[in-house]
Amino acid sequence: MDMSQYRELFLSETREHINNLNQLVVTLEQEPDNREIIDALFREAHSIKGMAATMGFDRMAQLSHHLEDMLDGFRTTGEVPSPSVDYLLAGIDLLDGLLDDLQSNQPERAIDSFMICASKEELTPIAGILQDTPEEVQTIVAIEEAPEEFQTTVAIEEAPEEFQATVAIEEEVTPLTKAAPESDAFQVLVELAENTPAAAARGILILRELEKSGELMSSNPDMTALRSGTPCHQIQAWLRTSLTKIHIEEALLRISGVAKVRFIDDRRKDENSIRDEGDRTVRVRTGLLDQFVNLTGELITNRYMLNTATSARDWDKLTQTLSQTSRLIDDLHHHVLQARLMPLENITGRLPRIIRDLSRKSDKKVALRLIGAGVGIDRAILEELTDPLVHLVRNAVDHGIEKEGTVTVSARREKDLVLIEVADDGKGMNPEHLRQKAVDRGLMTAPQAVSLCDRDALMLVCQPGFSTAETVTETSGRGVGMDVVKEAVSSLGGTLEIISAPGQGARFQMRLPLSIAIIKILLVSCAGHPLAIPITRVQRTLDLSTSEIHYSGQKRVFHLGEEVVSLYSLTETLGLPEVAAGETTWVVLTEVHGRRVGLQVDHFLGQREAFVKRLGFPLNLLPGLSGATVEGNGHVVFIIDPQPLLEDRQLFSND
Amino acid sequence: MALRVMVVDDALFMRNMLKDIFVRAGYEVVVEAENGEVALGLYQEFKPDLVTMDIVMPKKSGIEALQEIIASDPDACVVMVSALGQDSLVLEAVESGAKDFIVKPFKADNVLGIVRRITGQA
Repeated sequence: MDMSQYRELFLSETREHINNLNQLVVTLEQEPDNREIIDALFREAHSIKGMAATMGFDRMAQLSHHLEDMLDGFRTTGEVPSPSVDYLLAGIDLLDGLLDDLQSNQPERAIDSFMICASKEELTPIAGILQDTPEEVQTIVAIEEAPEEFQTTVAIEEAPEEFQATVAIEEEVTPLTKAAPESDAFQVLVELAENTPAAAARGILILRELEKSGELMSSNPDMTALRSGTPCHQIQAWLRTSLTKIHIEEALLRISGVAKVRFIDDRRKDENSIRDEGDRTVRVRTGLLDQFVNLTGELITNRYMLNTATSARDWDKLTQTLSQTSRLIDDLHHHVLQARLMPLENITGRLPRIIRDLSRKSDKKVALRLIGAGVGIDRAILEELTDPLVHLVRNAVDHGIEKEGTVTVSARREKDLVLIEVADDGKGMNPEHLRQKAVDRGLMTAPQAVSLCDRDALMLVCQPGFSTAETVTETSGRGVGMDVVKEAVSSLGGTLEIISAPGQGARFQMRLPLSIAIIKILLVSCAGHPLAIPITRVQRTLDLSTSEIHYSGQKRVFHLGEEVVSLYSLTETLGLPEVAAGETTWVVLTEVHGRRVGLQVDHFLGQREAFVKRLGFPLNLLPGLSGATVEGNGHVVFIIDPQPLLEDRQLFSND
Repeated sequence: MALRVMVVDDALFMRNMLKDIFVRAGYEVVVEAENGEVALGLYQEFKPDLVTMDIVMPKKSGIEALQEIIASDPDACVVMVSALGQDSLVLEAVESGAKDFIVKPFKADNVLGIVRRITGQA
């Protein structure tokens, strides 16, 4: 039976079970005699065992069986000795590691050293073992905290013998990539159509074609085997080439008898690249699927009505049907988005464990509060959000909280946005201190620093290379990585804001769009070019008469109530030719680093929904262009992101 | 300029069929041969861009003809035409320098696909 079709489902479900295990163990630690938790843990381990065994992933099955046995022992005695918790967690980490291996198509890592550690003295006296080798547990916990690239390295240190193999493979791969940095090494899998005649001869032609495309490093079957007439149904080949995969795939598919060409990436590249969305599965309520079917059915009916109305030239009917169609499409859009929404708890599930490990390590007593973990957010955004969120939580424990406190992670909807906040009740941040630091670090001059408002001063921690931690701890130094957090949030079309004052804790707020594929935009025009600004970036629009605009030095400003707002011309910022100003100036009010900014445009063209296409190279290198969309008339309209476009001018302008 | 083709096959039926396929695709069938020996002489005379070569033929087999053509013109574009169950002969031909092979019974698309690939013509 072909199990590969179940692989994705297995991976996602097992990941969920592992998350549950982590959460349950942390709870167990607080309530060591809660039988229900032990039972639940047992069931989770049991489920993983069953699935892994069915899939033929032996080590994972073996390890989960081992954990299951141990939990069964606890069920009998009714209590869990506290050192066992560490051991359980180490086991769960190892399960997680095994799953990572499977996900990236690697052989399962060794589990022997972990298993030996337990079997040496059976289950109950685990305490003794752990006390004997405290470093081991320490290292295992550190896996969770080390940045991803180091996971393997840490693992290797734990169990030298078993991991020799892994090390050897890495060494084999490294010189390849180093030798020719511009060429890619990857595995090509060429499948022949069923019953291809003279398959061996076909195989030789395929290898010849591959030889033409680059350096054929090895293949299975190889040329010698094919020459001796070995029949083949597929050819696996390692190829190093500077040609694109599409190019190679095309060439191979043109060979008669070639049914399918697949590429398996070099492991290193795999780890860095974004996971392939195409193969992933998502579970959808059947009710939602029914909605899709209903809406599709109605749309089909509508198409016939449109046909009828068009051929009868019945304009009233046509208009009416068109408005129905657009309502149906809105509905469909809404439901499709629903299918992509995943609750935030998918990524907050890891937090209790992280907090537990961090507070142990830093010797602080930290509680975690989760609010609104059920809020849904687009899965693409959610995935990119994991690292920033974990980073903010780490920062909160490391720098916010002093001896004892609470980290609160909360989420709520704000119209088209989701607000995710990481708050701590620690010592808070001192803007004055931050200004001083920025000057000391040579990031700005003293007068520049003084001119920053408190809000902007807090944002200084997001400057690359800015760290206010006097001693950078093992986990994080504030500022280390905050630039990465901000960058990540910004690339998702969101904003990051920091609210803090000395003695009042700190709140890091991420505002993110619900979906990234389809957004509402405001269409404007500049120097005759239509341009789009995401509605999430627009606070409001204004029309100012010329007399309302004043000069402050070289800078144009206007008053909005009490506030003095800087005004920039979008036309000029983009380097387009300026059009002579009329009586009225049209302004889009937006926000850069929590400060309101006016963006002058020539005209407003309207508001609509747009399907965002990502920009390819080299357009993606231009700051301020976040994508493009296609208008009804086929014209391409660029989507402007005011924040990166204006932020340098805004924060550090000398005038 | 149209691709110039030579068709080598001992059966007139096969020659006509291949000829029709090529002519309809806009190629020019410059000459035909009914065995390997004739084919060799005509190849030198016409220097076609492409040769389709039956494998089993009287006098001189397709493989011998192929080997001699390749010996005199290593870049010669020769496509073998074989029947089912001649895998080892096909293998030998490919090893001897045949650019590709067609297995009978074939379809026009099949033949043209192979020709386009090896001649690099769209």
